[in-house]
Amino acid sequence: MKIYKAGVAAAILALGLTACSPGSGTSATGKTEAPSAVSTDVAKAGDVTLKLTDFWGGAEGEWIKQVVADFQKKYPNVKIQRTNEDWGQLNSTLNLQLQDDSGPDIATANNGWQSLGTLAKGGLVRNLDAYAKAYGWDKEVPTTIARQNQFSADFKTMGAGSWFSTPMARTSLIGLYYNADKLKSLGVEPPKSLADLESVAAKAKVAGEVPFEYGSLDGSTTILLGTQALLADKKKLNDYIYGDSSVKATDVGMTEAITLTKKWADAGYFPPKFEGIDYQTAVANYVGGKGVFRWEYTGSLGLDAAKQGKYGYLQLPQASGSGTVGVGAAPGAMVISSKSKNPDVAAAFLDFLMSAETGQLAADRGLVPALSPDVKVPATSLSLTDESKGAATLDENDGYVPYFDWSSPTMLDKISQNLQLVYAGKLTPEKFTEAVDQDRDAFLAGQS
Amino acid sequence: MTATATAPEGGKRGAHRRRNRWIGLAFAALPLAVYALVVLVPLAQSVQFSFYKWDGVSASTWAGLDNYRTFLTDPVLRSTFGHVLVLIGFFALLPIALGLLSAALLTRARQPGMAVYRWIFFLPQVMTTVVIALVFKRIYAPDGPLNTALRAVGLDSFAKTWLGDFTWALPALGMIGTWVTFGFCMVLFISGTSAIAPELYEAARIDGAGPVREFFAVTLPGLRGQMAVALTLTITAALRTFDLVWVTTHGGPGTSTLTPAVALYKAAFQNPQVGLAAAIGVVMALLCLVIAVVITRVAERD
Repeated sequence: MKIYKAGVAAAILALGLTACSPGSGTSATGKTEAPSAVSTDVAKAGDVTLKLTDFWGGAEGEWIKQVVADFQKKYPNVKIQRTNEDWGQLNSTLNLQLQDDSGPDIATANNGWQSLGTLAKGGLVRNLDAYAKAYGWDKEVPTTIARQNQFSADFKTMGAGSWFSTPMARTSLIGLYYNADKLKSLGVEPPKSLADLESVAAKAKVAGEVPFEYGSLDGSTTILLGTQALLADKKKLNDYIYGDSSVKATDVGMTEAITLTKKWADAGYFPPKFEGIDYQTAVANYVGGKGVFRWEYTGSLGLDAAKQGKYGYLQLPQASGSGTVGVGAAPGAMVISSKSKNPDVAAAFLDFLMSAETGQLAADRGLVPALSPDVKVPATSLSLTDESKGAATLDENDGYVPYFDWSSPTMLDKISQNLQLVYAGKLTPEKFTEAVDQDRDAFLAGQS
Repeated sequence: MTATATAPEGGKRGAHRRRNRWIGLAFAALPLAVYALVVLVPLAQSVQFSFYKWDGVSASTWAGLDNYRTFLTDPVLRSTFGHVLVLIGFFALLPIALGLLSAALLTRARQPGMAVYRWIFFLPQVMTTVVIALVFKRIYAPDGPLNTALRAVGLDSFAKTWLGDFTWALPALGMIGTWVTFGFCMVLFISGTSAIAPELYEAARIDGAGPVREFFAVTLPGLRGQMAVALTLTITAALRTFDLVWVTTHGGPGTSTLTPAVALYKAAFQNPQVGLAAAIGVVMALLCLVIAVVITRVAERD
């Protein structure tokens, strides 16, 4: 009996310590109003130290280091202390870091509801409208990119309203890579349209090549989202992802895209036993010379200087012929903490991240530049030349659509799992599309 | 546990005894406080969170039993229980059966190099699960060693994409668990049998018992305590399976290898559904507790 009594007493004591409801300590009101008076004069701000936490390693890490160094050179009164964390680690702890008084002033968040939406709603990141006006972001940033950083005043919709984060002079797109040597030996030019791509793929299959290097073990969805952007109406797809419940998944090419993907799978356009191949292995296989094409995020193949000359990149135009639409976003949403004591200087740094200068720094390091039309790319790098061309085309067409999984926090899981079911013949494309709607609509219902 | 240690034994109720008790409590106070801080408070918080709809940042709303209802009625989340049952078969029942068998065989006749065998079979137990998972991911790969071996002996039709197959992914993961826990069970049972009085075996033999009879009449009853330990540890390990699934399949293909622990992680750290994650955690903790209590009770009954 003693044990039970002690247990009950301990439980009551512990409950007493946590009496108020979770999250009541942080208030969603009060902090979301944009400050009216902001300054863009960094030199006048005096000695300022900013803390920056980001999830960039490798070439991206080198890039941000140089950006920080250049910013400090430009404004000797500013010091930026950079902390680097791995992507998953930062995403899962950013909400805690931003609640800490000694947390970062500036951080990279993940767009969408999983991270940025939650942070904005919780009042942890600053409303940037005043800076958008002061620096002219509203005019300079393509609308389809700007929307990715905006939330409504009641935080029920994404894609309109106030700025809570900013993009940068870099982008991460989904597009089609091709192995230039393989196309040459097949005797074909890089495809110019989806129809072209299908005929080249068929030709490659006949020649005994794997048309698309791919593996679905961990539910890779790039192929589906890449083809969807070619088939869907740009405005409707944007609206769908930003939570316009009058648009349904059938209106945004979802059924067509999954049907096409499944058709390719059934036609043997993927490697044999692709269900058992994981993402890393598929990438390694492709870079190692297997397969003709691969749908991939830009910058994810890790091509070295020599390989960059061997692989090209295509941002195919829409199947309907109405311009170019591609899945793309900045590789991180830059936020300013509500607790930051120097938001003006932090905002200046965010603005600097969108400058042509930082775009050039990106291109110099093999990263895809954006928002900087005049950037110079080394001619020896076929892939970077193509990728930059892709980004420039999308900038010009204002043709970005956000990653589909921003539509609800559970969407990525949902489409990954259901894609595997479709490949196995356990789910029809129509049911797949229905499940997509169900997931998003359930989320939207919970929002209101 | 500390409470039992400080409880007075019945009968002696002198002042001396009572003073000892307070001294005992005083000694235990600091550890108890630390325990309360790092275990009981988070535990209570989890229970509290599980009744709210909360994204981890903004104000929460009271949800009553909704999170529990979701966990128990959502077809995908509910299916994780079935997966865990399969895993218990592979993590607990199979290794214990194999462990008993090998312990019986190994202890009947002393073979040279016994220690080496034990060491080899115990090895998986000291390896990090992530390493094991990576190794097996390679073994199960379409062109991995397992399929190559099957093809080499002419069993081409048995070669599969083990981790990408809706039917075989879960058993394939289960076999990894068997491989990990088998050595532990075996070592536990071998040490257990060596503690059984040799006279019991002699008596059994004099009564004319064969090896099978001897096993069921002497070895098995003598290993009751070890069985309880093995069952408790392996079943709770099966219930908590996370890293193995996370590294190999992420719960796929489809949701065929999703476990409650993976669902919990996704809810807590990938999707802002802290309340649901807490509810899953509370249910799993209760299940572990109930299983442990039942096993201990059964094992201690004479």
